[in-house]
Amino acid sequence: MSRKIERLINLTIALLATKRYLTKKQIFSSVEGYEGTAETKERMFERDKDDLRNLGVVIELGSFDPLFEDEAGYRIAPEGYALDLGAITGIEIALLSLAAEAWKGAALDRSAHSALTKLRSIGVDSDLDALPALAPRLMATHEGFQIITTAISKRERISFSYLSQSYESELRTIEPYAIATKGSHWYVAGRDVAKSALRTFRLDRIDSEVIPSKDGSGYEIPPGFDLLASLDLEQSAHLAIVDIRKGKAQLMRNAALSIADKGEWDRITINYLDSRSFIDLLLWHGDDVLLIAPESVRVELTTRVGEIIDLHV
Amino acid sequence: MSKSAQSPLSRTARLLDLVPYLATHQGIELSRLARDFSVTEPEMIADLTTLWMCGLPGYTPLELMDLSFESGFVTIRNASTLSNPRMLTEEETIALLLGLDLVIESLPSEREDLRLIAIDLVARLSSRVNVPTKLSAKPSIPGSVRAIIQDALHKKLALEILYHSSYSDTVTSRLVTPIEFRDENNCEYLWAFCQRVGGFRSFRLDRIQSAKLNEQTIVEQGTLVEEKAEKISYTLRSHSRPRAIMERFSIDKSDYAGDLPAVAFSYEWIQRSILACSGSVELVQPASARALIVRAARSILERYKSG
Repeated sequence: MSRKIERLINLTIALLATKRYLTKKQIFSSVEGYEGTAETKERMFERDKDDLRNLGVVIELGSFDPLFEDEAGYRIAPEGYALDLGAITGIEIALLSLAAEAWKGAALDRSAHSALTKLRSIGVDSDLDALPALAPRLMATHEGFQIITTAISKRERISFSYLSQSYESELRTIEPYAIATKGSHWYVAGRDVAKSALRTFRLDRIDSEVIPSKDGSGYEIPPGFDLLASLDLEQSAHLAIVDIRKGKAQLMRNAALSIADKGEWDRITINYLDSRSFIDLLLWHGDDVLLIAPESVRVELTTRVGEIIDLHV
Repeated sequence: MSKSAQSPLSRTARLLDLVPYLATHQGIELSRLARDFSVTEPEMIADLTTLWMCGLPGYTPLELMDLSFESGFVTIRNASTLSNPRMLTEEETIALLLGLDLVIESLPSEREDLRLIAIDLVARLSSRVNVPTKLSAKPSIPGSVRAIIQDALHKKLALEILYHSSYSDTVTSRLVTPIEFRDENNCEYLWAFCQRVGGFRSFRLDRIQSAKLNEQTIVEQGTLVEEKAEKISYTLRSHSRPRAIMERFSIDKSDYAGDLPAVAFSYEWIQRSILACSGSVELVQPASARALIVRAARSILERYKSG
């Protein structure tokens, strides 16, 4: 096993150090580790190329002199191998370190950690003292997380089973566009293939493995697609007026667009998405809140409260 | 160490990343190096031994990398071909982009300078990855609150927090002795001894409106004995929107059949939660709490009739 690793490292060094393309013959005669029959060497080399590609190392195929039909050769262009973020400062390294450390214990912890190792290898010291005391943290523990991010970058469809409102598992296939977090939930948005429309899914409602598939891969993601902006857009659909008792209904105060003092009560204006979940929110606050408008939601609310009474008397 | 960390491919990746790391950390302690790469010391020695056999074609001492690590400190020479860190993978870039977005959202508003630097980093990183979308991460907890709590844990100091209790819908100021962070149901909590109630409580981090260190109080961890909060068992019946009910009451999926068993720590929370399902759920047991729900619902209805 060590020998294979040595060979891969030696091949990388040889292809990276060369200015001209190395032919297979040159590689087999100079890079240590290629042994056996011509066919064996050939097979080894093909596998090694695939392995390096899987590690993100780009091997170029080309010929030194296009005028002559000489044998094609291989090399690794340094600009395709090395990290290049331009000139980088200690403050930038500190910000990137904070970004990587936000993943501690969460889904992309490993990738974040290896990214951090690379950044620390640049040789610029992190200037953490220049930042205010911050410890942001990303909570993402869903097993499918990494599969989804990989699928987005490879433009591959994913399938999973999703818990519907009626708590039934439904099989969904989407072309994922973006993954984002808001509050304590992660969302993935994409084109639902069966419905041929944009849909957003909460990760904790996915109750199966996430399976990537090569079918229909290579779809386009709308440039600049912003998952949270599209969620926010939906959420500002309707306007309501609510009276809330002084010192109460903190959650609604935080979401209020305006607050006016009415003595014992405050009158707020607030956006809501759909009437049912808005009624849920109002009822959580019991008699500390009173919906003033819209009238249609007031009527629906009193009907719902009647149902609660009927269920419990 | 996990098996995947020892697969030939992940070892190759680690060796490639080891060279530039050593080049910028000459003389690093072997134990720290192993820790930085999340492997054991014997595994790190195996890696270094393998690397020692590698170099440019020719493979004479002139072309091989020159590593020394017998003394417990590691240095590397003659490794210029591999001395630049490798390009970030797409997954690494996505991790950094999401992390950076979170950092941007967490920065205090007066640090516009840092915000601009971070936005510039996002632009530089995104141009290198195949993702045309904006990767967004909105913090549910102000980054500064967590930093202050971490500081208090580290220095073993008490904290003064302004806490919004959703059970009682009140904001109170409390002096607490922080013990640890806990994760439950996708939420982060601070487990702490609360001076006000004289017992242990867990505080949801996103409901802590502000926190500051209380330098006077020195914590004697040994004197704190954990108290068990009183659990209330109750039973629910779902009439519609079962997913919303399962999520609101944190009922395990395996319990989804017929009447739903659940546990809570406060009657007030149960009552509010039942009302907030607006008729989708019925409280079956305990019967005494059913009567309280009817009373609360009637008082709401009266307000609407008179208003």
